[in-house]
Amino acid sequence: MSNVPPIAHRKPWEERSVVVALLLAVLVPGLGHLFQGRILKGLIYHVGILGLFLWGVKLGEGVVVYNTPERGGARRITLHYAAQLGAGAIAYPALWQQARLNQENRPIRQLEKPLTAAFSGILSAVDNDNEGGKLEGTVQLMPEPGEYGSETKGTFTGTLDGQPVELTLAGGFYLDPPIGAGFHRILKCGVASDQKKSPGSGQKIDGWIPRSIMDGYGVPPDPDQLQELTGRLGKLHELALVFTWIAGLLNVLAIWDCVQGPAYGFGDEPITTPTDEKSETAKTPESAQLNSNANPA
Amino acid sequence: MIFATFLLAQTANLTWYLLPLAMVVSLVYSTSRFELPDKILRRAVWLFIQIIGFMAIVFGVLWVLSYGI
Repeated sequence: MSNVPPIAHRKPWEERSVVVALLLAVLVPGLGHLFQGRILKGLIYHVGILGLFLWGVKLGEGVVVYNTPERGGARRITLHYAAQLGAGAIAYPALWQQARLNQENRPIRQLEKPLTAAFSGILSAVDNDNEGGKLEGTVQLMPEPGEYGSETKGTFTGTLDGQPVELTLAGGFYLDPPIGAGFHRILKCGVASDQKKSPGSGQKIDGWIPRSIMDGYGVPPDPDQLQELTGRLGKLHELALVFTWIAGLLNVLAIWDCVQGPAYGFGDEPITTPTDEKSETAKTPESAQLNSNANPA
Repeated sequence: MIFATFLLAQTANLTWYLLPLAMVVSLVYSTSRFELPDKILRRAVWLFIQIIGFMAIVFGVLWVLSYGI
């Protein structure tokens, strides 16, 4: 064991307001450390914890952060969400997004104003989902007066299996509610029948348009959506949840470090063996003494 | 046989996600234990090796136990 005397270190976590640092650390991982001037540690926490959390959100297609307490149950925050809350303000939207799922937030069967959005999905036969191809492009839809009142009609412009295509859309329109879990909003619409094709060869487009982060993040999914997602993503969805949980729990360590300092000290303290402890039981470790005597600059 | 290979490929694909996860966990945990950058990094690398090593051992044991099933 070396007898090199340890260096007395500053304790940055005692130099600035602990309350402010605590609040910042709770709100944003690493921000409390940056406030204290512990730049490297702040960056590690910020990038590591937030990166892990956001990666989880991406893996789970945005349907990861939500709070669905049982109705009438004593617990108002589920354990699932409590772990995510640790990651800070990034998990807070789930606290109020549930309240936005009110009566007016319904699936749309008839557009009231024009809609233009990027579309990704498939073109399939009405009676057979397995036939068809992959569509990528833009949909332009608008309400138009029809034989029995207003109808939703429009066009799809883009590619079908990589080949340019333009489709006329009419009938069988369905659009997910404006507010819902995830960043995909399901859109279905019939394709106006082609004169060249035989009767009964009806087609439809089935896919999704983007949903804004404000309307999709933190919203609890309905059981059908969750079943579809877990069926499609499988273990990847579970992994996404685990990522957000671990990120939330790791931030608890970061908050503790921000307030109390590192758990094991600075890292240059001499290592004491059990023999040393016996012979120096009454002696305070030199580094601890030096560190406690260190005055803030 | 084909199904088993497919299943293994799927699982192996997911297993790759554990590497960055273990990296973040060991780095953040070590950062919360020490203050000096040098010590943090050395400790983080060692912890990462321990986590991955432990998981590799568990994987090996499970693979041996399930051989032929």
